[in-house]
Amino acid sequence: MRRILIIDDEDDIREVAALSLEATAGWQVLTAGSGLEGIAIAASEQPDAILMDVMMPGVDGPTTFRNMQQEPAIAHIPVLLLTAKVQGVDQRRFASLGVAAILFKPFDPLTLAGQISEALGWNEDETA
Amino acid sequence: MSKQEEAKISTLLSNLWERNLPTLRERLDILDRAASTASSGELSEASRAEALDIAHRLSGSLGMFGYHQGTEIARQIEEILKAPTPATLPGLTSLTRDLHQSLAEKK
Repeated sequence: MRRILIIDDEDDIREVAALSLEATAGWQVLTAGSGLEGIAIAASEQPDAILMDVMMPGVDGPTTFRNMQQEPAIAHIPVLLLTAKVQGVDQRRFASLGVAAILFKPFDPLTLAGQISEALGWNEDETA
Repeated sequence: MSKQEEAKISTLLSNLWERNLPTLRERLDILDRAASTASSGELSEASRAEALDIAHRLSGSLGMFGYHQGTEIARQIEEILKAPTPATLPGLTSLTRDLHQSLAEKK
């Protein structure tokens, strides 16, 4: 079973994403409300992937990603950034960080797991 | 995904939406106040920043619950608040009104 860590300061985003991934793909979902909490959970739980918001108070998503890359215990975990920013300049800036993929808010709860699987090259048949 | 599974997820999302309605109402109140003060030319920097944050959050979340027009309107509000000018700020009043209407009609 896949394990996904969702890092987002918004309660409703975490809840909808968790509901979506659990119900549509049967994945196990872990959640964190901040980048710092997310790093701690990622290190201890070793999820298969991390879905992380860009704009968070305090330490934002890109900074958290850079911090993760400095941690040998979690640097190997693929990170997908989740953003409501639609401008091309923002997307290029996020892509240049070296994240696995950029997904956009608002996402469709019925297709989120498929988007993640496609971005990471996962075979959904293995995870169902 | 089967129709039954889709229906189950839809029900869970509806429950979540209902649970989050008090937060949504608080956020809409903040946008309404910002639009009102903006129309009288008295929008403070703190109120602008707060309303911008709210608009950004709404633009990223309403569509998850099927309110796609709400996301689009929140995005327009966000753009105005990001770089407000005397010419664009008065537009907040009609946009916040449109936002209320889109949520009432689930567009």
